[in-house]
Parts: sequence; C-alpha cells; structure tokens
Amino acid sequence: MPTYHLSETELSSWVNAIMATQPVIGPVAKKSRFVFDRLEDSADLRLDYDTTILPPKKAFFPPKQDLLHFDASGVRGAIKPESKVLFGVHPYDIKAIHMLDVLFAEGHPDHAYLANREATTIIGSSVQNHYQHAFFGTASPSVPVQGHDAFLTKIPDGYTLDILSEKGRKLIEGQNFKPASAEQTAASEKVNEDAKANCPEKLTYTSEEIKAKLKASWDSPLWEEASQDCFSCGSCNTTCSTCYCFDVQDTWNIDQKSGKRYRRWDACMTTEFAEVSVQGGTENFRETKAARYRHRMMRKAAYLNDKLGGPACVGCGRCSGACTADIANPVNFIDKLMKS
Amino acid sequence: MGKAKCAWFDFTSCEGCQIEMTNFGEPFLELLEHVQPVEFREAMSEKAEEIDVAFIEGSFSREADRARLEDIRKRAKIVVAYGACATSGGINALKNHQDREDYKEFVYGKDKDMPHLDTQEAKPISAAIKVDYEIRGCPISRDDFVNVVSQLLHGTEKVYIPSYPVCVECKLRETVCQYDQGGHCLGQIARAGCGAPCPADGIPCEACRGLIDHPNLEASVKVLKEKGKLPARWAESKARMFTANLLPDAKAD
Ligand code: SF4
Ligand code: SF4
Ligand code: SF4
Ligand code: SF4
Ligand code: SF4
Repeated sequence: MPTYHLSETELSSWVNAIMATQPVIGPVAKKSRFVFDRLEDSADLRLDYDTTILPPKKAFFPPKQDLLHFDASGVRGAIKPESKVLFGVHPYDIKAIHMLDVLFAEGHPDHAYLANREATTIIGSSVQNHYQHAFFGTASPSVPVQGHDAFLTKIPDGYTLDILSEKGRKLIEGQNFKPASAEQTAASEKVNEDAKANCPEKLTYTSEEIKAKLKASWDSPLWEEASQDCFSCGSCNTTCSTCYCFDVQDTWNIDQKSGKRYRRWDACMTTEFAEVSVQGGTENFRETKAARYRHRMMRKAAYLNDKLGGPACVGCGRCSGACTADIANPVNFIDKLMKS
Repeated sequence: MGKAKCAWFDFTSCEGCQIEMTNFGEPFLELLEHVQPVEFREAMSEKAEEIDVAFIEGSFSREADRARLEDIRKRAKIVVAYGACATSGGINALKNHQDREDYKEFVYGKDKDMPHLDTQEAKPISAAIKVDYEIRGCPISRDDFVNVVSQLLHGTEKVYIPSYPVCVECKLRETVCQYDQGGHCLGQIARAGCGAPCPADGIPCEACRGLIDHPNLEASVKVLKEKGKLPARWAESKARMFTANLLPDAKAD
C-alpha cells in the first residue's frame, strides 16, 4: 500500500477534513498528562504526547458502557456503533488493540466490543517523546504492530503517511498528498526503529525465558515480598493497554420503572474481583495480595502467550507510573524474578 | 410497588447530609413519588407507629440518645444509617483520640461543665442499635443514596456497595493523579462509591466513606511520607479524619 508525504499544514487541514465528517479521538493535554479525547479543534491534537493516562481502547470499549436499557415495554440493546477515527495511536497501543480484537472475538464473541471496534478507523503515530517508564522496544517483540488502518511518522521535514487498509484509503479520498520519496520512507523507518531502541526501560530476557521462569516460580517467596506495599487498588489494571476484564451490574433509574445493565472495567488486583457466591456466602479464590500480584504477572507474561503469539504486555509503562506504591513496574519485577 | 413509609431522624451531626438531599434537585422528586414521609426530624407533629424505612443521620454520642434510638428501631422495619457520622462516627469521632477535658474546654469554654453538654465518645449508630443498611460519605452522594433506596424499594436483599478503593473510580474517569502533581491522597485505601469527585476537582481524597475492608495502612503512611511529603505525624494520623472508630488504634467503648 502507498506511502505519502505530508507537510505540517497538510496534516492539519487533513485532520480538519476528517473532523468535518466524523468524530476524531486523539491525544490532548490534561494538566501534566495526556488523554485521548474527542477533538474540538485540530490544534488541540498533541502528537508529541508521551503516553495517555488511559489507553486508547476506551474509544470503542469505554470504562463504563450501557449494554441494555429496560422498562415495562421490554429490553433494548444500548450499543449504537458510531463511525469514528482514533487518531495518533502509538505502535505499542496498536499491538494491544489487536490483542483485544483476538480476545474479544474468541469463544463467545463480544458483539458490543466488536461492533464498536468495527466502526473505528485507527491511525497510528510514531512516538515523538517517551513516557518515563516505557519499555515497548523490548516488550512482546514477536507480536507485530497490526490491525490499524494508517500510520503517521514524524520525520524532520514533515510526516510520512502509510495507508494500510481500505478504511485508511477512504480517509484520504479527495486529498492530494504527494508520494513519499525513498529518502523520506527511509527516514521514517529509522524514526520508528530509534523509538524502540531509545526506550528508557528495557527487558533484558526473552519472552520464553521469562515465561519459563514465571511458571517455575509459583511458590516463590518473591510474590509476598514484591506485593508487601500493594494497596489492591487496581490502578495497574485500569490503566493497562491489554486488560480486558469487566464487571456487569443492573441498576434502576431514578424513576424506579426503567433501568439499565452496564459494564465497567474491572481489575483483578482488587480484593472483590475473585469473590464468588457459594452456598451460604462468598468465597475468594485469590485471597491474598501476593496471590493477586502473581496472577497479574502470570496474565501479562505467561498465560496468554500462546493465544497472542507473545506476552500480553506491550511495554507502555502505564502501570509503573500509575502505581503509587511503585511496585507494579514489570521490568523491575522481572529483573528481580530472573535473578532469584 | 406501594409507597414506602419513610421517616428521617437526626443525631450528632452538622445536618449536611439532609441539606445534600435537598440539593439532589429535580430528578430526586421522581424518587419521592415512591416514598411517603411519615416523620421528619420531629418537624411533623405526628409520630408514626409503623415505619418501613427509618433514615438516621448523625452519630451516637450521648447515652441519653439510646432510648430514642431503641424506640426508632422498634417502630422501623428497616433502619438505614446515612452519612459518615452515622456509619463510622465521622468527624465527631476525632475527639475519641483526644483528652476529654481538653476538647470540652476548647469547644465550650466556661460552659464546659454544664450537664447538657456532657457527651461520650462518638460512635456509629450501629453501636446502639442494629442497622440494616449504610450509606456512607461526608456528605452522602446522590447516586449512592438512590442506588441503596432503589434496591430497598425493589426488595433486593443484599445491597451491593463497592469494596474496591476510590482509585478505581478515579482512574476510570481519567483524573490526573494527585501523586503526579506533587500532592497526596488516601484514594488507595478509601472505599469507592462516590465516583471520585475530589481528585477530579483537584483535591485529595480524605476517605470520607471509610476504608476498604483490608486497607494497607502501613503502605499508606509510607507513601504519604515518601511521595506525598507529609510530616510523619500527619502521615500517621491522616487516615483518621473520617474513620477514627475503624482504625486498629480506635478506643473501645
Ligand atoms: S502490564 Fe503495564 S506495561 Fe504492560 S501493557 Fe499493561 S500497563 Fe502497559
Ligand atoms: S485478569 Fe487482571 S490482568 Fe487480566 S485482563 Fe483481567 S484485570 Fe487485566
Ligand atoms: S501493584 Fe500498585 S497499582 Fe497495582 S494494585 Fe498494587 S498498589 Fe495498586
Ligand atoms: S488521585 Fe488519589 S484516588 Fe486518584 S488515582 Fe491518585 S491516589 Fe488514587
Ligand atoms: S473522593 Fe474520597 S473524600 Fe471525596 S467523596 Fe469520595 S471518598 Fe469522600
């Protein structure tokens, strides 16, 4: 598929052109951080963002989402997919979205997820600034960056734009972009390779070595030790690119005659996550914070590898930054584990 | 679903939760359609013999109030304690950790020995009578109140309240963490349900809804000191503001 070259001006007029036809969700500043939000003005787009508080999956898998509405006349589905463009997604988050696509489609496919995902066009973006905990250069290296529709790379004299799918091609209809030169294409390849190499944090073991060590360490005293300061707050799950668990609740509306069923991102690090009803009460099958800490690491680096073609951690570093106790960082933990 | 006979009572409190209820606004009136007020803070001359739901605000802080509470319990099918004062002792319970003569002198000055000003330690309503449901918070939040009342009106046996901490709700609304701005916060150990409005408004969570079931207090003190840069004494007593009766060093009766 073709690669184009865009100047800064061409980029903003293109973004304006898309915004005229459908909502565009992109990175914008929020105090000292960034968040994906619906653009009101193309000038708010911050492609120089390091990372966002929540991952971009929220554009089609919102933190809180109504699934059904009901009243005396019956039940109606609440999923109303709306065409939208998710603009400026970093390569590690593109990988994570593809992992979610796989996980939500298998077994009993999650139609609420799939319908909203299908309605979304994803335009990736090169990493211009690294989040202080990023290690995407060494995380899940066997999993390709895939499933997106176009990719924009910042090079010294503007941007290159790779069109990768029919959805992506549709977005540039009517635009008069020039094809990128061989030098420009080479420059963009270098930018994306350098971004991986320049991550501030690095895993120094292969995915296979880590998985084998994890599986052999079920009874390690390290779990207890590493989770000593854990709050069971779930911030390492709720900010994670690849987490996909949710809780479902039914509630009445204030009129007490109608109501809804909604879902909310859940977090396996909280105590109630593994609590289930049993005869005569409840039972928690991961009672201790050490067991929950172990579970999360296993989920990220061992359990899902076969299904996804690599570990379910893309190295965004969000968990490391979100953990107020400073214990969620996978790089630090894996280092300690491998040396144990 | 018939109308539920409801009554409101208040004990030691600032009455802020009642005010908060009147602030709930227009949609709240829809809820009132399902409710028949039969007694309101003695403002209604009638005294109801039978009450479906009794809402009690304020803490139990005078032995003399026990008889009144027992009388409410006798008449009410369901007792709901609402607000931090009623569910944990709230701000009032701060005095439980101070010298009795000191705080009496500080608050009442020369009148401190008047018999009607004598109080005991501030306790939740459940220290005097059996409480069926609790609505936490200082003040209570609308959604929480509506959620509990809806479930009572529909006869749900077990009312679900989150046992996860405020951080979950804070992250889900994508608030910039207090700790990313050089601040401090108790959100990691505070019980959720409020929707994390305080960090979203730029102020720390003070755990006004009490703590989660297994709060990691040691880690909280450590993080408040090391990251939140609070002086040791402040870090150590921080979690007490709304939860004096719930902490391990709480005074017994
Ligand atoms: S485990 Fe951490 S670094 Fe890995 S994808 Fe999740 S948030 Fe990112
Ligand atoms: S089990 Fe835990 S780590 Fe895995 S997706 Fe669910 S919340 Fe995330
Ligand atoms: S590891 Fe950190 S972020 Fe995760 S639950 Fe524990 S304290 Fe919270
Ligand atoms: S601001 Fe407070 S509640 Fe929000 S994530 Fe940070 S510590 Fe948790
Ligand atoms: S954020 Fe904390 S202090 Fe604010 S209402 Fe919620 S529990 Fe109370």
